[in-house]
Amino acid sequence: MRTKINIYLVEYAINSLLRQKYKTLFITLVLTALIFLLSSIFFITNSIKYELQSTVDSLPEITVQKINGGRHYDIEVSVADDILAITGVKSAVARVWGYYYFENAGVNFSVVGIDEYEEQYKNSLTNVAKTLDFSASSMILGAGVKKIINENYYKEYFNFIKPDGTLKRVDIGGVFDTDTELESNDVIVMSKESVREIFDMSENKATDIVVKVANEDEIATVALKIKLLYPDSRVITKDDLKISYQNIFDYKSGIFLALFVVSLFTFFIIIYDKLSGLSSEEKREIGVLKAIGWRVDDVLKEKFYEGFIVSFFSYMSGVILALFFVYMLRAPLLQNIFTGYSQLKTSFTLPFVFDMQTLALIFFLSVPIYIAATIIPSWRSAALEADEVIR
Amino acid sequence: MMIELKNITKIYEVNKNNIVTALDNINLEIREGELVVLKGASGSGKSTILSLIAALSKPTSGEIVVETSRVSKLSDNFASDFRRDNIGFVFQKYNLIPALSVKENIILPLVPLNLHVKEIEEKLIRVLKMFHIEHKENQLVKNLSGGEQQRVAIARANVNNPKIILADEPTANLDEKLSLSFIEILKELKAEGKTIVVATHDPLFFNLEIVDRVVEIHQGVLL
Ligand SMILES: Nc1ncnc2c1ncn2[C@@H]1O[C@H](COP(=O)(O)OP(=O)(O)OP(=O)(O)O)[C@@H](O)[C@H]1O
Ligand SMILES: [Mg+2]
Repeated sequence: MRTKINIYLVEYAINSLLRQKYKTLFITLVLTALIFLLSSIFFITNSIKYELQSTVDSLPEITVQKINGGRHYDIEVSVADDILAITGVKSAVARVWGYYYFENAGVNFSVVGIDEYEEQYKNSLTNVAKTLDFSASSMILGAGVKKIINENYYKEYFNFIKPDGTLKRVDIGGVFDTDTELESNDVIVMSKESVREIFDMSENKATDIVVKVANEDEIATVALKIKLLYPDSRVITKDDLKISYQNIFDYKSGIFLALFVVSLFTFFIIIYDKLSGLSSEEKREIGVLKAIGWRVDDVLKEKFYEGFIVSFFSYMSGVILALFFVYMLRAPLLQNIFTGYSQLKTSFTLPFVFDMQTLALIFFLSVPIYIAATIIPSWRSAALEADEVIR
Repeated sequence: MMIELKNITKIYEVNKNNIVTALDNINLEIREGELVVLKGASGSGKSTILSLIAALSKPTSGEIVVETSRVSKLSDNFASDFRRDNIGFVFQKYNLIPALSVKENIILPLVPLNLHVKEIEEKLIRVLKMFHIEHKENQLVKNLSGGEQQRVAIARANVNNPKIILADEPTANLDEKLSLSFIEILKELKAEGKTIVVATHDPLFFNLEIVDRVVEIHQGVLL
């Protein structure tokens, strides 16, 4: 066996590709486009999955809302104390929050009140919470919110319009630096008092109550107990939320799956076309090479180089283009499928998730299959008797 | 004895009801350094003999021995090695690769050997000079005349300096002047001690001084 790379064979392969330059160019372009599309889909789904996972991880184990006539009403703060008395409950916190519609920009902000270090925002608030002065009237903004209100004149404070038409001025205390951008991009955090004032809620009411349970296995039992204690409440567990998040994701990734199938289909048409045979010219060339002393494996090596050059080049350009498209250009068009419902969400950046497995998967879906499709028909042809060439 | 064909029969099976006996129990010995002309009408089996000697195909029965190797029993890879090291085949249709240059065509048999550039260059220059095509080295083969293309084909057949030269209808596409210059080339090759088999029905070859023997074949049988 000659194991050293034979540069003359590589040279011949390159020459052979250049001889059919339009065919080579066409296949390279199509392959690059397909790999680009595939990679983009994988990169985006990976990133969004990562986003959702970190969002789901930070969800409360149990959320309790007050329901009347199928609608959601503010709940008494005292309910939290009653829930805390249930065995197995670690904590029960009354949350104060709501959606504030900012008319100038036509978007909704999620306004969340906190009055201490709250577990739910642990990840995102660790750094900024210190800077938030609860006594004064200040707030911390998601990056998307900050961008929008900056565009609408407000640089240092924001005037909320209360239900009675009067204004509530809140100073901007800081901006989130967060790893769960999908969720917190439209969030404003301030003291509970400020939120109550903006939404005109009374002191003894809260939006909902979040409950932590000591033992995860008891979530369902505790939820049932709460429901029995307050039949007029809706008790939502983390699993319920997980499922609805997952549903949104599944629905959207269905669209991606469709794109994925289309590109695979196109790829296999190319493969099929290649496998269906060589032109008589190509067959003759293989016959000539064998007649002048090339072995079958020399022919196959040469074909391997041809396939490798085309598919590896396409793979590299496709993946690099996709990285650029998804993480630098923020995947215009494709990303809207995921984040199109709110103007705010469009400024959301996909977190960069470098995943060797994805890259390897795309590699194995493209390069070896293409190389095999290049080699197999040549192998069939080269394995025949070469004496056709003397006719 | 250089080439020996023993009781060679070659049958082509076109389909179930149609078989062609291209060679029928042929015996032929060609000595080292001999120049033999295979003479016969179209379809008589000349090309078939050449392809069997070159191990491009296998006989249906019988045995072919070249020097000490039993060519008819070689596996595909060894047959390739055998051709590369021992046989220079000048095909009737030349079988050059038109889009490659003269140089690239000539060194084609050397490609799998992965030799040093210098060695390749030496071998190339030797045959370019020998067959007078140095000045065309970098031209594309498709832009050459028929006579020039044949000289490229001969150069390619000789680049590895094989002991045996097989030429199939070498003058079929040449005018008289070029045919005569082909005979000059044959003289040179013979002077180098090569064993040469020319398959042809061109009468030009039948009374040549350099030809040692004319073997006539008729419908697959030697006369
Ligand atoms: N692959 C094949 N399948 C079927 N028949 C074949 C095949 N190759 C050759 N033959 C037949 O074998 C016979 C001998 O063919 P061959 O090519 O050896 O003749 P030839 O003497 O070289 O003729 P020409 O002068 O036309 O080149 C012919 O009848 C031909 O039709
Ligand atoms: Mg013939």
